[in-house]
Amino acid sequence: MRLPRHAGRIAAAVLAAALALGGCSGSGGKKAEEKAASGGPRLKIAMVTHSGQGDTFWDIVKKGAEAAAGKDNVQLLYSADPEGGKQAQLVQTAIDQKADGIVVTLAKPDAMRDVLARAAAAKIPVVSINSGAEASAKLGAVAHFGQDETVAGEAAGRQLAKIGAKNAICVVHEQGNVGLESRCAGAKKTFGGKLQNLYVTGTDMPQVKSAITAKLQADKSIDGVLTLGAPFAPTAVDAAKDAGSKAKVATFDLNKDLIAQLESGAIWFAVDQQPYLQGYEAVDALWLLRSNGNALGGGRPVLTGPAIVTKDSAASLAAFANRGTR
Amino acid sequence: MAGTATAPARPPGDERLGRRSPLRRLLGRPELGALIGAIVLFAFFSAVADAFRQAGSFSTVLYASSTFGIMAVGVSLLMIGGEFDLSAGVMVTTSALVAALVSYQLTLNVWAGVAVSLAVTLALGFLNGLLYVRTGLPSFIVTLATFFMLAGANLGVTKAVTGNVASDSVRDMDGFASARSLFASSVDIGGVNVSVTVFWWLAFVAVATWLLLRTRPGNWIFAVGGAADAARAVGVPVARTKIALFMGVALCAWFLGMHLLFSYATVQSGEGVGNEFYYIICAVIGGCLLTGGYGSAVGGAIGAFIFGMTNKGIVYAEWNPDWFRFFLGAMLLVATALNLVVRRRVERSG
Amino acid sequence: MSALIGLAGVGKHYGNVIALRDVSLAVDAGQVVCVLGDNGAGKSTLIKIISGLHRPDAGTYEVAGEPVAFGSPREALDRGIATVYQDLAVVPLMPVWRNFFLGAELRRSFGRLDIAAMRRTTRDELAGMGIDLRDVDQPIGTLSGGERQCVAIARAVHFGARVLVLDEPTAALGVKQAGVVLRYVARARARGLGVVFITHNPHHAYPVGDRFLVLKRGRVLADRAKDAITRDELTALMAGGAELDELAAELSGTGTGTGADAG
Repeated sequence: MRLPRHAGRIAAAVLAAALALGGCSGSGGKKAEEKAASGGPRLKIAMVTHSGQGDTFWDIVKKGAEAAAGKDNVQLLYSADPEGGKQAQLVQTAIDQKADGIVVTLAKPDAMRDVLARAAAAKIPVVSINSGAEASAKLGAVAHFGQDETVAGEAAGRQLAKIGAKNAICVVHEQGNVGLESRCAGAKKTFGGKLQNLYVTGTDMPQVKSAITAKLQADKSIDGVLTLGAPFAPTAVDAAKDAGSKAKVATFDLNKDLIAQLESGAIWFAVDQQPYLQGYEAVDALWLLRSNGNALGGGRPVLTGPAIVTKDSAASLAAFANRGTR
Repeated sequence: MAGTATAPARPPGDERLGRRSPLRRLLGRPELGALIGAIVLFAFFSAVADAFRQAGSFSTVLYASSTFGIMAVGVSLLMIGGEFDLSAGVMVTTSALVAALVSYQLTLNVWAGVAVSLAVTLALGFLNGLLYVRTGLPSFIVTLATFFMLAGANLGVTKAVTGNVASDSVRDMDGFASARSLFASSVDIGGVNVSVTVFWWLAFVAVATWLLLRTRPGNWIFAVGGAADAARAVGVPVARTKIALFMGVALCAWFLGMHLLFSYATVQSGEGVGNEFYYIICAVIGGCLLTGGYGSAVGGAIGAFIFGMTNKGIVYAEWNPDWFRFFLGAMLLVATALNLVVRRRVERSG
Repeated sequence: MSALIGLAGVGKHYGNVIALRDVSLAVDAGQVVCVLGDNGAGKSTLIKIISGLHRPDAGTYEVAGEPVAFGSPREALDRGIATVYQDLAVVPLMPVWRNFFLGAELRRSFGRLDIAAMRRTTRDELAGMGIDLRDVDQPIGTLSGGERQCVAIARAVHFGARVLVLDEPTAALGVKQAGVVLRYVARARARGLGVVFITHNPHHAYPVGDRFLVLKRGRVLADRAKDAITRDELTALMAGGAELDELAAELSGTGTGTGADAG
């Protein structure tokens, strides 16, 4: 038994050295070499979101995080679970893994309270992104990157009024997400017309479509549809077509399909919260904190949105969107 | 089953009795395949994930396992009794919501909410059982219907009562601290925080095992799952036993619901959907027969442990999370296949 | 002394289908009454009435001279009437001893099962009736069909049955296995039990029966003591009796048919 174990250890050391010299990846045991290569110790940062599987928005967040991780010589551990309790368990695994920093979303802040206290006890700095700006500082996060959902909602409501809608629906694709509720509430505040919420199951696109279609058929006077996630906007456009409705579709968030539809005018505008920025800034902020003691935002949320994208501005973003980073 | 108790009762001199060795008895147990699967998985993750080997991580794995495992106890018994409960996942949320809404809206001590929730959840279990017994429809259909109804009611009632999709926080209410210490605290063992649910889980499994193997209702559970008509013919109260089994699932759902409530203080009304399949998977990995009449509570617990280990081990191993579910599925397949191979081998040689 | 059980003028209908009409039957202690009949003759309806699953629509049902109206098989069982069904006598996956005591488990304090006593009793009871099991912990599904029937009958005897109702206990068995069961029925009679033995096979019924009740389309076709009927007559009755005789005569133009195809 002694020989193979010994051999394995040598092999591991050789491999780690090779990887470290290559500058791409490696284990924490070779800090000295890495320090020489990148100007700082290699950090391990965990990012735990409430994303479902295969969601474009979160893929963009992740790409931003990966870009920052690449620049900062950070090993990024990404995981996600839409259920609050399970997301908390994932944060606990990051603590167990002795991560150097944790990035979390606070869609369900109460579920994260205890585990973030444990992170604080383990002296692991936490940065929150996306939803949960109000809860962020209270739960001990050193910074928050996201858009204020109410502010973004208000911007959407104003824009919706500006394109001439009077009676609109707000399509909520994730039940129990406080952020989505705030968007609709914010939009309602500035919209002026009638805005009602429509709940759909975001993981089941045909169901989303049929629900919107049915709603538009039931109420012919609806002239505006506001979806709260990029993939739902084209679906809403289809649904409006099916229902023979002239409702104008607008959405939160952005992806490359939307750019094309914005350019063609099928979708009137998109409220972009720049997810790439959230992932990038969160990782970078943790890196700055660990390597230079910096903190961003002065204890207040750093807003990454809303940025309203319309037909005019869509063209200039097409190249970035095609890359999957916008 | 209960191999040791037989020894003194054997009449001496029957040489044929010796053929059924203790080893064979061990191999005949329903949970053996799962146990071997669990050991293999544990060794595997210990080898590939450094973080997995730490005591703190093991505690996290145990916690995750316990949240599946507590439900798997009730679901395993129900499955041995020949039925499914697809409403088990959302019933957990319902239970937590009832306690949260009652306590908050009526400004009561949270223990009052806990008690009301217990009554309501048991009533839901009773309703599931009654619907099954009265309609004669497969439990799959009956509980599918209650699953949808509960999922809808969870959201509808919460929204109507609070105006939001989540219950209001009960964190600062009377009784929260004591309820939390019972349902959602953790115990320090040698510097490692072990969630109290782990101990509750073990207690649930112990009680269920005792019930199954050492009491009359346990005998009835096997009988109604194995051959309901035969059981009825010899005077087993089949309907009552089945209703009690559905209520057993409800009891577990209530407990887990209380854990969630007192862990997080608020309850998201949309959660719990889909978990029912995890509970069923735990029971099946643990050697419970999908068609009823065979299985054990310990098996369900081992199934939950396998599930918790896989679930967290993949994270500790730092595998690409995009493949998470693929790995999960593959692990489950391996565990259940191993289980099957062991069982077949035993059956052939026995 | 009145009979253990007595049915007089019993009838039963399901909707407008008359399943049983004017059937009378009495079983004394130490007597085997065989109920014979083809499919649809009303045998299973009769069993359901005796065992307490159904109540008769007409006639009286008396146990030891007292009129009864059973609401469930449990009530019948409490009066000492135990029914052993051909196919649903046992739970195959459960050990022999658990099956033996199913529904009447022995218990100690705190509701604990007295497992040792149940194992011992099961082994002793079966041994006492001539069945030698290697292991009472084996699932009952691993026993042969005849052994399973015997376990079910032994169970009924052990739990104080005074009347055994056996539903086609030999129907699915080979000659040798059927012999095991018939011997067992004879032993039960020797112990002083009354037996209602339901079968469609006169060759199984005749050796053990003391009295034979032949049903046809819900009515009594014949009701004879053993000394008033021969095996051939019984076989002929079962095969359709006079009707078949006429048919045979009509077809062949010759004498009497003895129903050689009955079985």
